[in-house]
Amino acid sequence: MTWQTFVFVVVAGLAFGYSGYRFAILYRLLKAQRGKANRLGHLGARTLAAIADVFGQRAVLRKRGPGIMHATIFWGFLIITIGTLEQFVSTIHTSANFQFIGQTPYLTLIWLQDFFTLGVLLAVGYAAYRRYVIRPEGLGKSRDADLVLTFTSSLMVAILLMNGFHILGDNPWYRDAMPVSKYLATGLAGLGLSQESNHALWLVFKWVHMLIVLGFAMYIPSSKHLHVIAAGPNSFLKRLSREKGMTPINFEDESIQQYGTARITDMTWKDGLDLYSCTECGRCQDLCPAYNTQKPLSPKALIMDLKENLHRNKAKALAGKYDEVGPLIDGNITDDVIWACTSCRACEIACPVFIEQTDKIFDIRRNLVMMESRFPAEMQPVFKNMETNASPWAFNPSERVNWAEGLNIKTMAEGAEIEVLLWVGCAAAFDDRNKKVLRAFASLLKKAAVKFAILGTEEQCTGDPARRMGNEYLYQSLAKANVETLNRYNVKRIVTACPHCFNTLKNEYKEFGGNYDVIHHSQYLAGLIGEGRIKPTKAFDETVAFHDSCFLGRWNDVFKEPRDVINSLPAARLVEMKEHHDSSMCCGAGGGRMWMEETIGKRINVARTEQALETKAGVVASSCPFCMTMLTDGVKTKDMQDKVKVLDIAELIDQATP
Amino acid sequence: MNIFVCIKQVPDTETKIKLNATSSGIDPAGIKWILSTYDEYAVEEALRLREKNPGSTVTVLSAGPARVIESIRTALAMGADNGIHIDLPETADNNSIAKALAGALKKEAKVDLVFTGKEALDDSAAQVSQLLAEYLDAACVTVVLGVEYGPAGVKARREVEGGAVEVIEASFPVIIAAQKGLNEPRYASLPNIMKAKKKEVKALKAADVGVSDADQKIRYKNFQLPPPKQAGKKIAGDPATQAKELVRLLHEEAKVV
Repeated sequence: MTWQTFVFVVVAGLAFGYSGYRFAILYRLLKAQRGKANRLGHLGARTLAAIADVFGQRAVLRKRGPGIMHATIFWGFLIITIGTLEQFVSTIHTSANFQFIGQTPYLTLIWLQDFFTLGVLLAVGYAAYRRYVIRPEGLGKSRDADLVLTFTSSLMVAILLMNGFHILGDNPWYRDAMPVSKYLATGLAGLGLSQESNHALWLVFKWVHMLIVLGFAMYIPSSKHLHVIAAGPNSFLKRLSREKGMTPINFEDESIQQYGTARITDMTWKDGLDLYSCTECGRCQDLCPAYNTQKPLSPKALIMDLKENLHRNKAKALAGKYDEVGPLIDGNITDDVIWACTSCRACEIACPVFIEQTDKIFDIRRNLVMMESRFPAEMQPVFKNMETNASPWAFNPSERVNWAEGLNIKTMAEGAEIEVLLWVGCAAAFDDRNKKVLRAFASLLKKAAVKFAILGTEEQCTGDPARRMGNEYLYQSLAKANVETLNRYNVKRIVTACPHCFNTLKNEYKEFGGNYDVIHHSQYLAGLIGEGRIKPTKAFDETVAFHDSCFLGRWNDVFKEPRDVINSLPAARLVEMKEHHDSSMCCGAGGGRMWMEETIGKRINVARTEQALETKAGVVASSCPFCMTMLTDGVKTKDMQDKVKVLDIAELIDQATP
Repeated sequence: MNIFVCIKQVPDTETKIKLNATSSGIDPAGIKWILSTYDEYAVEEALRLREKNPGSTVTVLSAGPARVIESIRTALAMGADNGIHIDLPETADNNSIAKALAGALKKEAKVDLVFTGKEALDDSAAQVSQLLAEYLDAACVTVVLGVEYGPAGVKARREVEGGAVEVIEASFPVIIAAQKGLNEPRYASLPNIMKAKKKEVKALKAADVGVSDADQKIRYKNFQLPPPKQAGKKIAGDPATQAKELVRLLHEEAKVV
């Protein structure tokens, strides 16, 4: 017991007390969120995923340079914190230390701490270089980040100086396990200070180090550095499968008076934890098609603005005065921000801490549409078409079979015996360009002697556009009608050339009693080609750039099959665009944007088409009717329609298959 | 203010029209029915007027078979307060409908304003608003693009041919027939759709409003579908030959010159 004991206990007590108080508020704020989320199942799988994502830094390392930087700092802090704890303990009780673990383990620990102190310092140096010299747009400017970098680098410098003077002043027995500090000590020896002075300076830097740690503890709850506490749990609580459906609203439940989120407190505790986890790294923003074409939406800014809204409404939320909590559309977040999203999900897949931006946007849309009837005017006829004619486009349902004229395709009503049901989708049924795609696919199914049928006029829009645009009520009426029809015919397998229908049928009909084996036509074709039922033999001497559909790739992890299909074409050369697979850029049509005017900034489809044209490929291959429309328009806008063809993978295979 | 809106249910614009067995009208089987678009402007205008005049009520009326109640509910979901359905047969003509609506309105304590569409989307007859004015002995402004509401009447801007606009002043009670452009009709919010399901729609019979078979002035017969569109004809040759051939075709085949 020395004077240090008393000073430390008092100072640390105050610091941790304050920090604990701030964390308690953050916890109570999560409890004040009124939405429901259930993320506590599958504990084993969650643990394994969290070990890989948190301790293995899997998600962070997806981006190489900053990933290695972060992993070094993360692992460094885990190791260094052990030393810090030892320091705290020995400050309280002089003879206490961690040497009881044995001499070799202790020396290893000391060596690792010394090594990582330098490592973290270098990593922070790289971070500073990146932030202040390279200045990637996604990082932006942040006073928070300035402070964190200052804190962290001072901490490391303090440790090294502390150890250097310790070696000079006290000559500890484990000094050889500190090569970096020892090297520094050689330099410090040049100052020519007495042993007592060196010992005193050790004490000074020890306290500098401890005080920075305590300062950090008080600072974390109010900063973006809160991620060091929140991101771990958020990774543990992430959605385990990539496929996900939106949470349905129970319209039968009359106790529900409000649909969607109008206020920050209408969100769930998991949404709150998402906000706490954001480190503002900007990976989401870097890939956002809306942001990259000058729309007001940035997924990073959205999350930061939501967090700011939460803090602004803290007192009212904690007091349970929910009616007084301010609206979510608060000036920082505008209607244009919410409607700019194409639901491409690039932000979510890129996020190293598994924040789910799209759910928040969809929930806000639900409130705007169903409670306030507030949405871009172009959407009203789309809703009305879906209500009256079960299609987002104005067509009579009787025209739904016109695409198949002359193909002699049976409908389920005609009592067809089938291997698989062909789900046509509204785009292929009513849009002239996409009719050709489906005719090519149907022709391939016939060449492969697949027994299939369609629902014909009984098929209705799956409801995907309505759901993504926030009209859950309309979505459910369409979903229930389709499930009723599909179950009436006892349909087991469905194949569709539309990724939007695919995603909805596969992931979102389960909630309404529709359980089917749903296959996208890229997967089905890859299968038929693999089995030898389709043999593309005609040479196709052309370079083909494949465009990933968001609802096929990012939403359902189907990347390989469409590429396999293209590679099966004799003589074809598959090339990738600048952005592909998980980083692929959206065509601009998802999330209902297909039917909305794009008046702000550059057109997304043109930006994506430019990426396609950069490859110099003669063919842009798509596997989605919406992408087909957007890319075809893009190629026309660039006046390249004579040189570049936009074709569906089914058309490519059909023309090569005798 | 006591505000009324007379609406009509019509086939959706994408409907493939089929004739009934006797060719005296269209076959209603399989038709998707909607609220006539011009009537949506009428409903919207009534709702906006009510919002500016607290304490006002908006009542929606429709005369026709039971199916039209669905469109009354659509208007209720947009925000109207009350609904009145007058049961008339499918074949009722404009005169019967106007007389029925007038009969129902005469049962109301006070009528300040009646909104209608400028015409129905199906028969485009544009009769009911003016017949209704006759039966009610009220003023009527048709094809209305904008209205200023005063304490005793309205100043309405109506579209006339050639793009000109007439301004007409009329005192209450007045009938306003809405033209496209009067407003942007709202999309019903879900709570209002739910509430509309529970609102009571008052039911009246033809006899209650003094309408009988004698009021039917039109008997329909011999409906025909328009002939299917024929493929275009391309005239080849140099401009002089093309012009000559065009004149010949217009004269001999189309018989228009």
